[in-house]
Amino acid sequence: MIAATPRWVMALATTFLVAVAAFMLVPLFVVVASSLSSSAFLVFPPPGLSFRWYGEILGSEAYLRAGWTSLKLAMVTVVLALALGTPAAIALSRFRFAGRATIASIFLSPLILPSLIFAIGLLIIFSRYATGPSFTGLVIGHTVITMPYVIRTVSANLADIDPNLDEAARVMGARWWQRYWLVILPQCKTGMAAGAFFAFNISFDDAVIALFMRAPSVETLPMRIYSTLEFSPDPSVAAVSSVMILMTMVLVVMLSRVFGLSKVV
Amino acid sequence: MQKLSVRSVTKRFGELSVLDQFDLQVDDGEFVALLGPSGCGKSTLLRIIAGLERPDSGSVHIADKPVTDIAPERRNIALMFQSYALLPHMTVVENVRFPLRMRARYSRSEQLEKAREALDLVKLEHLAGRYPRQLSGGQQQRVALARSVVSEPNLLLLDEPLSNLDARLRETMQVELKRLHERLGLTTIFVTHDQEEALGLADRVILMNKGRIEQAGTPEEIYRRPRTVFAADFLGGANIVELEVVKSGRSWKGKFPDGTTVPLTNSPDLEAGPRSFVLRKEAITFQPVNSMAVINGSIETQNYLGGQTRSLVQACGVDLIVVTDSEKTEIGRRNTRIGWRVEELVPLEL
Repeated sequence: MIAATPRWVMALATTFLVAVAAFMLVPLFVVVASSLSSSAFLVFPPPGLSFRWYGEILGSEAYLRAGWTSLKLAMVTVVLALALGTPAAIALSRFRFAGRATIASIFLSPLILPSLIFAIGLLIIFSRYATGPSFTGLVIGHTVITMPYVIRTVSANLADIDPNLDEAARVMGARWWQRYWLVILPQCKTGMAAGAFFAFNISFDDAVIALFMRAPSVETLPMRIYSTLEFSPDPSVAAVSSVMILMTMVLVVMLSRVFGLSKVV
Repeated sequence: MQKLSVRSVTKRFGELSVLDQFDLQVDDGEFVALLGPSGCGKSTLLRIIAGLERPDSGSVHIADKPVTDIAPERRNIALMFQSYALLPHMTVVENVRFPLRMRARYSRSEQLEKAREALDLVKLEHLAGRYPRQLSGGQQQRVALARSVVSEPNLLLLDEPLSNLDARLRETMQVELKRLHERLGLTTIFVTHDQEEALGLADRVILMNKGRIEQAGTPEEIYRRPRTVFAADFLGGANIVELEVVKSGRSWKGKFPDGTTVPLTNSPDLEAGPRSFVLRKEAITFQPVNSMAVINGSIETQNYLGGQTRSLVQACGVDLIVVTDSEKTEIGRRNTRIGWRVEELVPLEL
């Protein structure tokens, strides 16, 4: 075969690819390796191997409470982001109305704007008009930053469907609610799954909004990790992180099993 | 009984007038083609009949009931889209059952039974459990067809039913559609821009142009006796000849540019003066008999079409296309006699 691309270009590209992969994977490896450390300090490479830090975090009330808070928060966020984002995507793709483009940009703005700005605003509002930082505040914040992902993925789904489906269903006797429930929503399934995945991960991983909305009563897992790292760094941090990595991987595998990864991401 | 009556329907999209005082009556069991170029209003008319579009004025009656203000979901009609519009998340049998399910007709098991019968009709019963994406284009179309007939609709509307299929499938589907119509007797109206499809399927062809009926009639009438240049052109192209009509004794004759005259059939609207005539390509023969109109010409070029030969003949100052079933004759032959039955030279409207 005659090379369509010069060899040195291919070599360069390969090197680049390997470098990128390394930058993405090596930190994960370091974290997982550190979590298996027998040392009492967070050092790399670990002097010996043990599972003691996993036992440590499972026995730590602070970690478990933070984990539970994060899990609850992520699940509520997913439900709200889907409940609000899916109808928004359907409306934006099906209807032509005045201000449609503006509304679409506003809905997607959290993707572009730094969440820091949003978090400051949220904190000011909550301090002035509510009881200050709270779980509800976190839920609102996370719903706002994750909804754009649901809108994006569901919209991509809707753009792919046969535009005649709705009219065909009408002629076949389907009333408006039957068309939403039996024709349009089922088409959004993969988009909703992908959106839910993003929403869960972003909420579970968020440190910015959580930083501003943090209160003694509501501490999320990333905040717990951060404060541990700040005041008493030990390999428990790495163990928690490894659990989070594992959880994400399980989620990805589940999604790709059910919907096919290429369709989702 | 009249299954469909469209009464002076007008439809405008902004400045553009799409249908202009359009009238159409369709009898029970008829198979009607709405034929025309894109933008002639045929698709809009179909959408108005289905209720997906509202006419600006005029009315639509289905089975003698006014339906102009009735939503499509309550009209009890079926519309097969060009894209088939199968529901991708439902199996074949669920797709076919859908119209019965939406109208809450019959029990669940009876609905499934009916759906299977409809699938049997298009010979797809064995694929009932598949999803649409697992089927070929032709199979998808059959599913769409089964779904259209399952609810025994008052009207079956088809939007360009064959245009998404390749040439061979189109032929089979054409046979199948005809068979299905004969078997079920459903009043069927379909839209097409393909004259072959219209002539091959319909009992009656409505040729549309710029939102009006250009000509309507049986396929034979509309093909053999086009009344306008547009009709003659659109239906497979034909020779359009300019002749000078002259009176000779009690009969009319047509004079070619070089002065040759040919007999014309007596028609009440003939009058002396220049006139356009249509002469079908297959109406001309190289073996004329005495009762025919006969002229001399020369064959300029020939194309073998497989079973047929197309020749360009120069005769009496005009170019004529001749399509014959015979194999090639010599090219460049001078003084070839060509002829046609006198009534094949059809005067077009003035």
